[in-house]
Amino acid sequence: MASPQEAAVPPPAEVMTIASPINLILISLFAVLVYLQFRPKALIALPKGPAPIVFRTFTPTTLLEFNGVDGKSVYLAVRGRVFDVSPGRNFYGPGGPYANFAGRDASRGLACQSFDEEMLTKDLKGPLDDLKDLDAEAIENLQSWEERFLEKYLIVGKLVAEGDPEAPRL
Amino acid sequence: MASETSLVAKLDAMVANVLADWNIYTTLIAGTIVAFLIFSFVTSKEPDVHPFLLARQSTAFPVRQPGESAVYRSLETPHGFPLRSGLNVKDPGAPKWTSGRRGDLRDVWKAAVRGAVEEGKSSGQQGKIYTVLGRRAIEHSLEQVTQEINVIGSRLQSSKAKTVAICLTDSVELLATIFAGAFFGFKTIIIPHNLDPKDLSNLLQKAEADVLIAEAGALDLSLVASSNKHLSQVIWVAKLGSRHMDWNDVPGDVKGTLEVAVWHELVEEKKDLAGLDVPSWEPNTPTPSLTTVWPSATQVAEFVEYQPENLISAIAGLTYSLPRNQRFGPSDLVLSIDSLSRSYPLCQIMAALYSNASVALNSVAGESVDFALATVGVSPTVVIASSRTMSHYHDRFMEPHSGVISSFARWFDVRKLDAGVMPSHGMVSQVANIGPTAELSLDKLRLLCISHRVDADPQVRLTCVQLTDLRIFTGARVVYALTGPGVAGAVSQTNVFDYRRGKGQSHLGAPLSSVEVVLTGVSEDKENEGQITISGPAVVSRKTTLSATGRIRDDNTLELC
Repeated sequence: MASPQEAAVPPPAEVMTIASPINLILISLFAVLVYLQFRPKALIALPKGPAPIVFRTFTPTTLLEFNGVDGKSVYLAVRGRVFDVSPGRNFYGPGGPYANFAGRDASRGLACQSFDEEMLTKDLKGPLDDLKDLDAEAIENLQSWEERFLEKYLIVGKLVAEGDPEAPRL
Repeated sequence: MASETSLVAKLDAMVANVLADWNIYTTLIAGTIVAFLIFSFVTSKEPDVHPFLLARQSTAFPVRQPGESAVYRSLETPHGFPLRSGLNVKDPGAPKWTSGRRGDLRDVWKAAVRGAVEEGKSSGQQGKIYTVLGRRAIEHSLEQVTQEINVIGSRLQSSKAKTVAICLTDSVELLATIFAGAFFGFKTIIIPHNLDPKDLSNLLQKAEADVLIAEAGALDLSLVASSNKHLSQVIWVAKLGSRHMDWNDVPGDVKGTLEVAVWHELVEEKKDLAGLDVPSWEPNTPTPSLTTVWPSATQVAEFVEYQPENLISAIAGLTYSLPRNQRFGPSDLVLSIDSLSRSYPLCQIMAALYSNASVALNSVAGESVDFALATVGVSPTVVIASSRTMSHYHDRFMEPHSGVISSFARWFDVRKLDAGVMPSHGMVSQVANIGPTAELSLDKLRLLCISHRVDADPQVRLTCVQLTDLRIFTGARVVYALTGPGVAGAVSQTNVFDYRRGKGQSHLGAPLSSVEVVLTGVSEDKENEGQITISGPAVVSRKTTLSATGRIRDDNTLELC
């Protein structure tokens, strides 16, 4: 403990200096503030969005793999247009009520309002379903489905039969 | 006990020790810190636009074709909606809920003559048209111009003119002829005025014009007329100083086939008959096309024929590309120092007329003019110029003339721009202006619209540094647009609040709402770089590919490679 006498002794008269510790502390504080104010600011960048999907020409065989299994995209075809229905995975993905359509040509099923297996074209190598045998009501039904799809989903490709001149060569 | 002094007590002693040194300097420094904090708090401002809006300036379509980039569009017109195709003109008396008409050039003039509209009520305050001749500005009222439109229009209509070639400097007569064409149904072709007689003659031949409107004494009539069989009528526009001369003389070799008249005499003669009212029209009738000449590198200038719907879509696209508080308004004076024979200045001037702004035309306007000289006659709030003019001005005057003081002031203003705030016309910027812009009469300037021709010399592309200098030293915001042949108005234009600085060339902003941009011929590893292809209502053939390659940057703006 310092003795009371020692503290009472007045400090020797000294010249006022700018280089005292408190001044140095304040000066460096000032420098930091100025730096913070004027430092070059980094440009704001938003994270890049997902890369755009490339439009493709599918055949029934190549479309098959886009059935939503293992987190893959869910595609389905309506009258030659392939829609990416991944946002509606709960309906069209595995386990959903429309799961049969995933990766397939869904035109006939949608037109007939039936989600059964037999609505799908069995022969993947054969020609596309031309829907010629459907009645006007079914076609109208299909039309309204198609309009709904156009509103909600993206067209990511088109579907052609195997052996079509437009079909990609493997 | 001494060894057991608590930590707190030690600290207390230390602080007391340090504080014991408090002296006059300390007070000064502390005062400075407080003053600095207050200063930076008071002067700090919200950025003019949210930084996220600049970080992604256009939207990409999520699907792309092989060999192409995604389609990019303005944020105003999302994918799945139609691009902006018109001005949405609402006729008086039309039911409120109906959507407006697209409109055409006649609506532009009608809106200009009607005057400003505030909250649905017309205040009748019209803009004015000025022609700047050197240091003088001549004022024209819109009534006067309407009269000229009526006189010239009805004369050309009665002589069954189909195609009218205009070879004039930027002037009120040029504007009047364009509008007369829209009202009275003849095609107009704007030909640059400073061509040599041979080129001009070739162009006229190609255009098959039957009427030529040109400056009196500026061209040799017998040369032009002899090689041009379609030409049946010439209207001279005499300058103020040469009106006393008789211009009605026809050279001997074309006498009989050619009719010659003088603009101001026609107007004087017929003005009582023509009336001051804007001619009425059926809203659904089409207006004829307007053709301009696109200068090309190979010296064979090509015609670009803009249909009225291209022009109107471009006018709307340019108008709405500016945020509401930056758009042209009745208090603006828009000066074009770029020739009206180019579609960007033309569409901007039309946009200004439609917004009831006053308009100033300069007889020397062109792609390469002296910025300081061209702006002396009037004190504009908006200047429309080419990238060549501005880049020359920056290189020759702005850069060499900036001294130590203005560099220091510039440094402060650059901080402000980086924070997203436009430096005000305060003391600092006044100081900054002392050197580089002393000779300018631009106290009221608030916006600088610069267009860059896609096939212009890459040397005149503006860099970020140049644009920053222009912002600071003129105190005006800048928009920088890319124009291309076959695209009315512009392809893309920078955001007026985008003050970000980068390295090298500046980007050219996001597509206008009247077009969409896709890059074609891209390689799979570099899907953001390719030939610039534009489609939309402002494109003459609905779709066109420019000669230049472009790149879409991470902030979804377009830049030239």
